Amino acid sequence: MMTCKELAELLQDFLDGELPKEYSDLICHHLRECGPCINFLESYKVTVTMCRKLPPLEMPVEMKERLQAAVREFEEKMSGGSKNSGEPGA
Amino acid sequence: MNALEAKPMQPNGKAKEIAAKDIVPRSGAQWTPEQVFLEHAPRVYSLARRMLGNDADAEDVTQDVLLQVVRKLDTFRGEANLSTWLHRITVNAALAHRRKRANREHREVRDPFNHFTEHGYHAQSIRPWSASPDNIVQSKETTALIEKAITELPEIYRDVYVLADVEGLPNQDIGDMLGLSLPAVKSRLHRGRLLMRHSLAPHFEEATL
Repeated sequence: MMTCKELAELLQDFLDGELPKEYSDLICHHLRECGPCINFLESYKVTVTMCRKLPPLEMPVEMKERLQAAVREFEEKMSGGSKNSGEPGA
Repeated sequence: MNALEAKPMQPNGKAKEIAAKDIVPRSGAQWTPEQVFLEHAPRVYSLARRMLGNDADAEDVTQDVLLQVVRKLDTFRGEANLSTWLHRITVNAALAHRRKRANREHREVRDPFNHFTEHGYHAQSIRPWSASPDNIVQSKETTALIEKAITELPEIYRDVYVLADVEGLPNQDIGDMLGLSLPAVKSRLHRGRLLMRHSLAPHFEEATL
């Protein structure tokens, strides 16, 4: 019978549906008899789902202001006296 | 039994959604630096912060990327692949920044398969979690726990993990960005997920809540 560690090694491919049938069958057989591995599989799936729902990190206000100023300053430097600021040429 | 009804997790789904949202909305119009900042700085910062693990480095990289974008504004007329390009230059800038960082961390790379006995059993009890994939409350507390676990991932897994499971990029794109083969991306992603699961388990296992 497949061990818990072997199941863990193949878990990603199993969930992605990329395992050959004989291996998937071995995993299903193991899961029928191993409560901890069912919990392990479910919590692995929860981990993936939670991270996919993470919102973007919020930029600290002071950093935002500094970066905005840097972009503005860079823009002015780039335009360098040109009257076409913000209208880069082709 | 639910656990046996495994479905493909469709790692690419989120990436498509992001790309569609990021298509330059001003058809034929010019980006201004202000628009670049407002529309892209948060995402660039977010990715850099998660890859590098601290605000100071993330700020340096975000500024570097934004200035690169402003410098090349005239090449962005109506381009639909801006999001992909932004991901790519942010990843490159973050990796370059990490390489030259004097106090680069030398964290021991944890092996997620150390959590098993020599006979292949779980080394500790694996209890059910209070959250299920269909019932996840994204509270500030939960989010902070996850972010901390990401920061604590070894860099070798963190980059792939963030790009795949947080940013939702396809594995092939991640391999191209990081110079890794597809099997290497999948292996690192799986190991990153296992370490994340292990870090989060004490907070979500039923008996501890």
